Amino acid sequence: MKKHFAALSVVFFLSVVSLPASPAQAQCQLGVPAIKVGVQGAASGPHSDYGRQIEMGATMAIEEINAAGGIAGCKLEIKFMDDENKAATGVKNARYLVTDWGAHFMVGTDSSGVAMALGPVLAELKRIHFFTHAATHRLTEDLVAGKGIKEIVRVSVPVYQDAIIAALIFKDRMDIKRWANIGADYEYGYTSWNLFKETLKKYRPDVEFVASAWAPFLTLDFSPHISAVMAQKPDAIFATPWAGEAVMLLRQALIQGVFNDTKAWWQAMGGSVDVLEGISAEVQKDRFKGNLWATARYIHNWPDTPENKAFNERFKKRWVRLPNYSAETTYSAFFIMKAAVEKARSLETAKVIDAMKGMQIRNPGGVRTFRAEDQQFIYNVPAGRPVIDAKYPIPILGDLKVFAAKDYYRHPPFTPVAVTK
Amino acid sequence: MDNFAFQGLIGLSMAMYLWLISAGLTIIFGVLRIVNFAHGSLFMVGAYLAYAFYGQMGLPFWLAIILSLLGTGLLGLVMERVFLRRIYGIDEAYQLLLTFGFILILDDAVKIIWGGVFKIPPIPAFLDGSWPVFGRSFPIYNAFVIAVGLAVAVGLWALFEKTWWGRTVRATASDREMANAIGINVPWVFSGVFAFGAMLAALGGAIGIPVRVVAPGIGAAMIIQAFIITVIGGLGNLKGAFVSSLIVGVLSAYGTLFFPVFELFFIFVIMAVVLLIRPQGLFAR
Repeated sequence: MKKHFAALSVVFFLSVVSLPASPAQAQCQLGVPAIKVGVQGAASGPHSDYGRQIEMGATMAIEEINAAGGIAGCKLEIKFMDDENKAATGVKNARYLVTDWGAHFMVGTDSSGVAMALGPVLAELKRIHFFTHAATHRLTEDLVAGKGIKEIVRVSVPVYQDAIIAALIFKDRMDIKRWANIGADYEYGYTSWNLFKETLKKYRPDVEFVASAWAPFLTLDFSPHISAVMAQKPDAIFATPWAGEAVMLLRQALIQGVFNDTKAWWQAMGGSVDVLEGISAEVQKDRFKGNLWATARYIHNWPDTPENKAFNERFKKRWVRLPNYSAETTYSAFFIMKAAVEKARSLETAKVIDAMKGMQIRNPGGVRTFRAEDQQFIYNVPAGRPVIDAKYPIPILGDLKVFAAKDYYRHPPFTPVAVTK
Repeated sequence: MDNFAFQGLIGLSMAMYLWLISAGLTIIFGVLRIVNFAHGSLFMVGAYLAYAFYGQMGLPFWLAIILSLLGTGLLGLVMERVFLRRIYGIDEAYQLLLTFGFILILDDAVKIIWGGVFKIPPIPAFLDGSWPVFGRSFPIYNAFVIAVGLAVAVGLWALFEKTWWGRTVRATASDREMANAIGINVPWVFSGVFAFGAMLAALGGAIGIPVRVVAPGIGAAMIIQAFIITVIGGLGNLKGAFVSSLIVGVLSAYGTLFFPVFELFFIFVIMAVVLLIRPQGLFAR
């Protein structure tokens, strides 16, 4: 009996001591065991590092948010899934994440095609998706401002960055009159080129658009595209293939002498760290002759703020790499989610969206301001030329041209832009 | 006119890449009667190995190519002797399952070893730059690819027509049982042919690495085109593969120049026309 009593008292003691064993759950003010966030990106195939960057940004964000007590006292949990850059897979994943796994929010998505397929499904699943890379303007212009799908929130700047900034930079280059395009043969490439032409033509009715060549996804040999547009003797090239394709395109253009025969080359997402690393040797030898221009949806060396520097330091410490844009936009999406949910005191879509109205938030990439009409978080990213800087192991964008976001974002009501070649 | 000729030369260099990869596919099909969907993955492995030897270890470019061929050939040998051998006698659907399985395994394997970020080593100095051709700048690199492709074409012709091994392989391709009966070691011919085809795929991958990135999944970019070429040329016919590589490479380069909006399905139009007129392929007997 004595023995039993001792055992019972130990059990009793332990149960008393362990009562407040899960403070996070006890303190979560939203009535859920954890806030679950489904994260998606392209994690296989040649663009798989973009999905990896999304995953790294998301992981770092929840580690920091959880260490500081979570969102309204609730811990965050993520599940990352590979959408293979395919619309069907992205939609299937989203359905699984919401209905089976129980996601409260979703974040990520690299491809415009995947994003456009996800949009209508989100309305049906009644979950907000924070888009952190997919660039087609139609996601917010058509699906949010046009069709009123409130579940779409965009944190990364769309093709305005790829196309309109280019037009603003080159409108003053009176020596450039003939533009040619080497475009990604899908929606992103079409809308970028059409927006560029439309914007530049407003300022410069004298410019001509002399040639276009379109390279499908997974092109390894751009030499026929380069030689086809060079046959028209353009002054400058507008190019939208991205990631490894951008590096191949630039190298194949160099050995075809394009940088001897043209005055400028715009490589839209050439400010991506993987591209800058890929063209490192050429930048070092100044083989682009200062004629290569590029931008990105965030560049790690801008803005020069304590927040951005600290983010870079933490990122490098955590992953031993520089943050690419999809890492920053994804990371920031979680802090936007945190601010909105804490203000709304709810996980309901309507209340969370309401809480975003008028929101201004300081992220590593700068201050983002919510625009209610198309549910974009607006911020600006400069464009520049790849340069060597002793402080960094790979080239960075330098000679930066900074434009205010309001000067290059399109504004509602939106006029349609052609989505065709 | 100069632009037309120049685009043709660029198309010729594209054709030679296509020829290298479709040659291996054709030889393997011709002898083993296996449709090797993993051929594009062998192309990718060849590219990664060449990158490892040249870009990471700093060996001379030509040596890296040779080592990459040997490495990929060895991989091909293992694939044939350990796996493919078991499915020769059974339903053809298993070929698809097994070789498709290899695509997935090899794609993930290179990602585990080399990571998801694409790789691109520097251009060897002797291949950097361009020559003036038709008033334009023709890359020395593309000329090099044309030279390698033509050399392989001549080499393969000599190998199959003039050597004992080539005659053995041709005998095995036309009648396995008779070849066996007259004392040819057919299983080893199969292994040798598969390894040789793998080496040709690797050559296609390896020679491109300084101008084409090495990344997981690049095999998928090549395999569709290679299949189209073997279908146009006639399955298992080497001369057909060479001619149809030329047709597809040169015509799609002209497609980019003259019909940029339709470039994507130009190659499929060519295939459709050939299949309508000669369903067995241009050169099939």
